[in-house]
Amino acid sequence: MTAVNGHADLAVIDHVVGRPRARRPRQGDPRRRTPRPGDADAASLRARLNALQSATERELRRRGVVSLPAQVRRRVPALDRIPRARIPRLPDRERLQQELPMQLMGGLGRLAIGLRNLTGRDVLDLESLQDLMSIGVRAMELRRKHRRGVWDLDDFGFETDYADVWTPLARLAYRRYWRVDASGVRNVPRRGGALLVSNHAGVLPFDGAMIEVAILEDGRERHGRALIADWFFGMPILSWFLRRTGQTLGHPSDTHRLLTSGELVLVFPEGIKGTGKPWNERYRLRRFGRGGFVESAIRAGVPIVPISVVGSEEIYPMLANVPPLAKLTGFPYFPLTPTWPWLGVLGLIPLPSKWRIEFHPPIRTDELPPEAADDPSVVMRVADEVRDVIQEGLVRNLMKRRGAFRG
Amino acid sequence: MARQRVLITGISRFWGCELAMRLEADPAVEQIVGVDVREPSRDLARTDFVRADIRHSLIGKLVRALGIDTVVHTNLIVDPRRTTPRVAHETNVIGTMNLLAACSGADSPVRKLVVKSSTAIYGAEPDDPSFWTEDMKRRTPPRDAFSRDIVEVESYVRDFSLRQRDCTVTTLRFSNVLGPLLQTPFQALFSLPVVPSVLGFDPRLQFLHEEDAIEVLYRATVEDHPGVFNVTGPGIVILSQAIKLMGKLNAPVIPPYGGAIATAMLRRFGILDWPAHLLQLVQYGRVVDIAKLRDDFGYTPRFSSRETVEDFAAKSRVRGLLAEQTRYTYEKDLEEFLQRKGARGRGDVETVPVP
Repeated sequence: MTAVNGHADLAVIDHVVGRPRARRPRQGDPRRRTPRPGDADAASLRARLNALQSATERELRRRGVVSLPAQVRRRVPALDRIPRARIPRLPDRERLQQELPMQLMGGLGRLAIGLRNLTGRDVLDLESLQDLMSIGVRAMELRRKHRRGVWDLDDFGFETDYADVWTPLARLAYRRYWRVDASGVRNVPRRGGALLVSNHAGVLPFDGAMIEVAILEDGRERHGRALIADWFFGMPILSWFLRRTGQTLGHPSDTHRLLTSGELVLVFPEGIKGTGKPWNERYRLRRFGRGGFVESAIRAGVPIVPISVVGSEEIYPMLANVPPLAKLTGFPYFPLTPTWPWLGVLGLIPLPSKWRIEFHPPIRTDELPPEAADDPSVVMRVADEVRDVIQEGLVRNLMKRRGAFRG
Repeated sequence: MARQRVLITGISRFWGCELAMRLEADPAVEQIVGVDVREPSRDLARTDFVRADIRHSLIGKLVRALGIDTVVHTNLIVDPRRTTPRVAHETNVIGTMNLLAACSGADSPVRKLVVKSSTAIYGAEPDDPSFWTEDMKRRTPPRDAFSRDIVEVESYVRDFSLRQRDCTVTTLRFSNVLGPLLQTPFQALFSLPVVPSVLGFDPRLQFLHEEDAIEVLYRATVEDHPGVFNVTGPGIVILSQAIKLMGKLNAPVIPPYGGAIATAMLRRFGILDWPAHLLQLVQYGRVVDIAKLRDDFGYTPRFSSRETVEDFAAKSRVRGLLAEQTRYTYEKDLEEFLQRKGARGRGDVETVPVP
């Protein structure tokens, strides 16, 4: 830093005005060389800083700013007052963030091999561990991105990067916990809008997440956008979490906007009536709303893909509903399951049932004129057709499944 | 088209002033009359100021005497922090009613009415659609007085447009405007070192840059755009993102239930003055569709919602300097001197009897 050149001035001005952290200069950049003890004595450093400051003021004056605000002037550090302690060199933070997961993974790998050698069987499942760890890694990556000001939000509040943070967890549940068998995913179009219609069950709606993973697992880089009950948007945390991961509420204008912009929209026409079914009525489809989903599909001219999900009914067998408690807590229903609420929070852990998801061949609506959306007879006919396909699919897949929890 | 004679209500406040300054530069505008109970906050060159309250029927006389053909109503109080609810109600509802009465009738010279409204008319509830279009109505009736007033004001304007068929009525629903010199609730919120938010909620919000707001107001005044238009920057910003862009800390201190009590406490300690409808907004958010503004009005705001926040963040860092730049002390004296000397040849409004 022998001469105070124009670049140095600019750097100081950026610091003064408080621009977000500028990009790190390359290593070996003479401007950023940190003073070390013995490098120069404090007095000469101070003198050089003062020279830099006056140069900055000159430059600011040249640009029409009268004088530096007082608080900036104060910020020039008095270096001679900093104790000359030897600061241990910490590893670069960014390098640490990149290498830590790999180091951890390596350690876990060695541990897994050691345990296998010791016990003679696989104790640790490395693939699942990797999935779990990648959640943390991706979350940290996203934080860094946000700090740099990179946000990939669409107007619905969906952030693909944020959804990708949680995809490994959903995939873990999909592969290991519920061992989902998906069939017919080829019926989901590779591009363009489509309305995916599914049965709905299981007190807490995990079926939406599993359908979305099934599409991703098939190698289709498409995020399904589920339409969910507006009740969720009044709930803390869920309100923003569901939006950030791509869900929105079942308003006709939302549906139309998503379908016409070529998104995959996932609807559960049974709604809350479906998830709040008692155990003895499992796999019996409820009324399919008022056929609003058919209207939306016809208006947008997109195909309807019916989906049958088997296994979701068994994750929380709902033995009874306690309406007074539901009213008290504001939930749509208050279920009693074999574990909830007896085991407290543990009762929220879903049971590991065996799932099957079947995507049926699409039902075309683009052959119908848009006016058909206003014709109740056409709408109800298509809605019934979709319902029948799903119900038949449920029966077929229930027969294929050996047991609710086996397989 | 003949040269326009424009009447602006609320000239003492930011919008009236800024619009008047834009119109002054337009030679197609023959005369600009500003009406308010207080003097304009800036010095205006050729705008005539009439001290009058729009709550009185005097405006009708003024409009007819001057042959006003365009009325721009910017006097809606959309930030009820500064006044009492009663004054806000009087100004918004009774004031608008009187103004519309003054502009109506077979002998009215008014051919254009521009009303600056607010997207607060849609409310903010958890079951709101993701995008409000102009033809949608809120499902739940408004709970606070201010939101009720806005709904009422717009219903009067709608009635007026049905009654006065030969008058072009433009209603502009502005979203949250951000600007370094503007006093808005979000400006106050983002100026705090630690920004309080509702625990477990991260709403989608939209912001409008003040330059775009003035541009839309100006175009609505000099061009013909009948109808209701949502006006906001394209795209959305979520609250946590806005706070990060502002370089502030997010403090989710307001509980999701009983937030009104918490905000009342914050008000008591002088930290934050938040009316009820703003608490709803910060909890549930609101996003409007600007397709109609883009396609029918023919204007797309230059600053997106995010750019508006970023620009505001950049300007807040030098707010002290900006405030100094806008303070002229001698220009007003010069104006008064010129006026005394009769240097201005334009028709004076002093001839109109003002009690």
